[in-house]
Amino acid sequence: MAISQIEVSNLIKTYSSRAEELTVLRSISFKIARGEVVCFLGTSGSGKTTTLNLLAGIDKPTAGKIYYGGKDIHEWSTDQLFEYRLKEIGFIFQEFYLLEHLSALENVMVPIILDGESEEVAQDLALELLNQVGLGGRALNLPQELSSGEKQRVCVARAIVNNPSVLIADEPTGTLDSKTGGEIMSLLLRLAKKNKMAMIYTTHDPYFTKLASKIIVLQKGKIIEHSPDDFEDIGYDKSRFEFLFKGEKDE
Amino acid sequence: MNELDKNYVGEEKEQSFLEKIFSGFLYNIRLILKNIRNRKKSMLIITIGLVFSLSVLFTSSIWTETSQLIIADDYIETLDYEMYVSTYLTNAMDAVYAYTVDDYIVRQVDWYLPTVALFNFEDKGPYYRWYPEDNQENMSNPVSLTSAHLVSSRAIDRIKLNLEVEGNASLNSGEIMMSYVQAKQLEVVYNKTISPGDNVTVAISRRIPNTDIGEHQMRFYDINETIFANYTISGIYKYIGYNTVIAKLLGGLGNTGGMLLDSIFFPLEDLTGIDRFIIDSNGLLPRLLVKVDAQQLRSGGIGQMPDNLHALSERIQIRFFHAYCYILSQEIQTMANEYARTFSSTTLFTPAIVSTIFLTILASQMTVKKRKEEIAFLRLRGAVSGQIIAIFFGEFLLVSTFSLILSIGTGILMAALIPSFGHDGFFSKTLFTRYFEYLQISPYDIEIYSVLVLGIYLGITLLNVISFVRKDIHESLIITVRGQRLLGIGVKVGAFALTLAGFIFLVVDYSRIVRASYSFGFNTLAASTNALLAFIAVIFFISYFVSTGINHLLKTMKKVHNYIFKQNSFLIHKNIKRQTKSLKDLTFFLLLIICLLTTFVSIRSTTMQNNVLEDAYRRGSDIRIDSFIPVNITEYEEKLGAIEGVDKIVGFQSINAIVGSQHVDVYGVDPLKFLEIGRWTDNSFAGTTPETALTTLAEGDSNIVLSNYIVERLEFAVGENMSVTDFRGGPFTLQFNVSSMIKSAPGLGIAHGYDPKMSRENFEWVLLKEDVFLNQIGIHNGTLFLATAEEGADLEVIKEEIEELFPLMKVNPEKINPDYIGYFIIKYIPHISITLLIGAVILNIIGVIYVLISTDFILGQRRQEYAVILALGGNQGKIRRMLVGEIAVFLVSTLLVGIPLGILSSLVALTFLKPLLIPHEVVTMTMHIDFGLLAIMVVSLCVAAILGVIPIIRKQMKYEIVQELRAIV
Repeated sequence: MAISQIEVSNLIKTYSSRAEELTVLRSISFKIARGEVVCFLGTSGSGKTTTLNLLAGIDKPTAGKIYYGGKDIHEWSTDQLFEYRLKEIGFIFQEFYLLEHLSALENVMVPIILDGESEEVAQDLALELLNQVGLGGRALNLPQELSSGEKQRVCVARAIVNNPSVLIADEPTGTLDSKTGGEIMSLLLRLAKKNKMAMIYTTHDPYFTKLASKIIVLQKGKIIEHSPDDFEDIGYDKSRFEFLFKGEKDE
Repeated sequence: MNELDKNYVGEEKEQSFLEKIFSGFLYNIRLILKNIRNRKKSMLIITIGLVFSLSVLFTSSIWTETSQLIIADDYIETLDYEMYVSTYLTNAMDAVYAYTVDDYIVRQVDWYLPTVALFNFEDKGPYYRWYPEDNQENMSNPVSLTSAHLVSSRAIDRIKLNLEVEGNASLNSGEIMMSYVQAKQLEVVYNKTISPGDNVTVAISRRIPNTDIGEHQMRFYDINETIFANYTISGIYKYIGYNTVIAKLLGGLGNTGGMLLDSIFFPLEDLTGIDRFIIDSNGLLPRLLVKVDAQQLRSGGIGQMPDNLHALSERIQIRFFHAYCYILSQEIQTMANEYARTFSSTTLFTPAIVSTIFLTILASQMTVKKRKEEIAFLRLRGAVSGQIIAIFFGEFLLVSTFSLILSIGTGILMAALIPSFGHDGFFSKTLFTRYFEYLQISPYDIEIYSVLVLGIYLGITLLNVISFVRKDIHESLIITVRGQRLLGIGVKVGAFALTLAGFIFLVVDYSRIVRASYSFGFNTLAASTNALLAFIAVIFFISYFVSTGINHLLKTMKKVHNYIFKQNSFLIHKNIKRQTKSLKDLTFFLLLIICLLTTFVSIRSTTMQNNVLEDAYRRGSDIRIDSFIPVNITEYEEKLGAIEGVDKIVGFQSINAIVGSQHVDVYGVDPLKFLEIGRWTDNSFAGTTPETALTTLAEGDSNIVLSNYIVERLEFAVGENMSVTDFRGGPFTLQFNVSSMIKSAPGLGIAHGYDPKMSRENFEWVLLKEDVFLNQIGIHNGTLFLATAEEGADLEVIKEEIEELFPLMKVNPEKINPDYIGYFIIKYIPHISITLLIGAVILNIIGVIYVLISTDFILGQRRQEYAVILALGGNQGKIRRMLVGEIAVFLVSTLLVGIPLGILSSLVALTFLKPLLIPHEVVTMTMHIDFGLLAIMVVSLCVAAILGVIPIIRKQMKYEIVQELRAIV
């Protein structure tokens, strides 16, 4: 049995406002092993993004624990949490969140710079990664000059540039067409495997669940477990994603 | 339903037309109130900006309006009278009195009757020979004769303002007041000390004997009916008055008091009507002393006071052709001039006021930008432009009404507080309450300033709103060809350059007017004020140009940023490079503020330095000795020179005479001693040095030094002959040779021009050799000495010794003319240096507020950006340091450019600001920078800005990363 890298125990998240209290996560628990590819599946409002945010340390739980390497990350100091986000986590947002005034290259450089590396080192590393994601020729373009697929590739490069242990992707294909979405997923999986990262992603699209070794289905803030095979009959046209499986075969 | 939905989505019900209008109105009001409540911070910033701008303007208006009334009243109260009336038809005097006392402008009319009084006459018979007084019949027990001023008891309350009285300044029945000189004479006559409270017997003469026809005996005084025994000396006085009616009526040369020096005051009421009739009949003409009502005199403003006084004189003279009215017009005019100058100096607040309005504009722009999503949402919901504008207009109405009320209150309070603290730095309750007593609010100013500030604010706000409302249409319209765009830029740059050139031309033109003179009047004052306004516009333009340059330079300074900020330099440089409008505005505004601040501080220190130099120059030397009575100069040079600590001494004989048609003061001096003792400057003479000019003067008795103004006016040239006539008490005319032209001299002040600080009697003075006075004019007396002190001598000890030995002498008086109107004005309108200091502090505050508002705005714009950085593993501390570093880059770069720019602008400003700063350029005004104060100002600006930024950053960073990221969507 694989050793758990992340262990979530009885996680509860409630959002409070003047008008109401909304419980998004209702005591969920799960474990993620090193190098494991986990997919969170669920309808809108089921708690997928909240779970990822909590795992990435950019949100705080109302109750429950998230252990990373055996330690509860929400008991850490602010500085430790910054360190965790910087070095252990690579986050890919559905909405990209690229810094508009920085070029593709400079956006990828940001985490390295934040890690205290010199600009020259950061530039070399970032360029190498942009080449890996196929954007070497667009390195000096600003985000508004890139297509959605290209932006997401920049986000992928930015997420892995610090060589994190866990790659978290919140609906990385959400704003992309299915072809580009497939390309991005393929790229993510390839990089995750190559760098031996655990990969956690969310998706609305049951087809991409196929890529995960573990699927966690969330419904109204609770977990309902399934295996990938449970989605065989959903009726997606496999041929549309042929290239994806080709890639998997190649691997 | 989110907050915006809750704000803007209403429920639809079946309503009548009127109900719809009413409910629509109520809905809009509720909406506006909700908007204001939900945007407390933005509204607070706007309100602060508006209140600050309006308050500064209202304070300035209320302060000056109120001050002029208090100053006028105070000054008028310090004057004994404003007019005296006489007539050669003495029997018409009662009618003149009756008319004058009923004039609406007149408060009080007092009779004055001149004659002489006699003491120690009791045992002398009618045939006692009294003439000459210092060789009368019985010199071992002589009669003492003195001028007698017969005035009513209440008149003494006004006349005493000219006197320094030992005892009581009262003139009740049975009392007399006596001069210090007369008291000393009586001490000799009676061989006992004379003090207040002593009783004496005094005779009031009903006629003055005419010695030319041999009236040398006691009987010619006609004193038999006017002998008053056991009259109490209520007080012994010294004359200290300056330019007052009594001084004009009785005064002698300079400020020596003339007929007041050796005299008594006697209560007119103690004489019978017959006595008065006899005195009148004997040709001793009575005068009416006229005191006007301050409120009536200043009606129409301080500038109207001389005219109002002239009008009174005309009203009297048109009815009584034989009446002569002397009015104190020169002094009242000086006051009007000085007030105008002081009032005009408040225009130095203009940069602060303009900056404050500018601050409000920028704050309003930022606030509208912050609300662009809201505008977009309203448009999405189907709101038309008019509805959106109406909502903003409604908010504007509420905020501006509140700001207006608050500003009027603040303006009134500040207008009272500034003089209450401004006079000496300590709160004066009296001044504070007096301000409220006299409070003047000009509805015109309030209206103009409100329309100006609120109009600008509303205009800018609505323009911004409209630009957002029409953004998509606008954007589609601005797809123009490159040529058109270039043409547009060309037109803008051209207009910009032309306007700048126009303002520069105005500054140069006005400066030319000012530089041509060294004695400043209304014309130069107006030119100076106009030049200041044009110059402020130039500074704005230049700051804009230079700030654009700074921004471009900063973009290229990556290596410098790397060197300074090391690890943080990457993002700092990227932020500086991206040059958002708010950062560009920040550079421009900071540069402008620092430039103006430096200018203010430099002008202030230059003015203060000039005042110190001018005071020293006016004093003339280490020791200045003013005598209240004319003394023999040669004799007193010896006496004063013998005092321990006094090194070299020179005295000035003086007399009045006429050059051309003008009365001038003529001084006689030993030129070489004056050269050695006086604190001369290179600017004292025109076209020559003091050494050359004074050596030349010493070389010949026929040499004369004239003011360059006289020389130019009368078209003389150096070396040309001219005559001086009508030496009072001396020869009728003397011929001289113009040896040099003088602008001013140490101890004597400016050679041409009314110099109220020096209390000189005439408009001009000329300088002769001492020998000419002694040998040709026959005048040995004067009232002024200058001396140097021996090395290490204590000036205070010397002062005490001289004043003790010679009670009628003043050494190094703090103020040469304590009645100088400027000293009254600065009680209520603080000195220019305080105005400049207040202006500098306001600029500092505006600078800090702007940095804080900008930081808040920039942070608000970048919150989501920082949320991304935090999500990527960025550290809050690092982001804080980055932000502070970024603000510091702008502060430091604007400081490095703004301070030299400010110094340069001060140099230019000083060429045309002189009339606002000083009445005369007695010493050449040279630039002086108080680097200490400048450093304090600049450091406090930086420290306050940085310290203020940190809590804003801390507060802004207290957000949930997730929420901010969601907001990006």
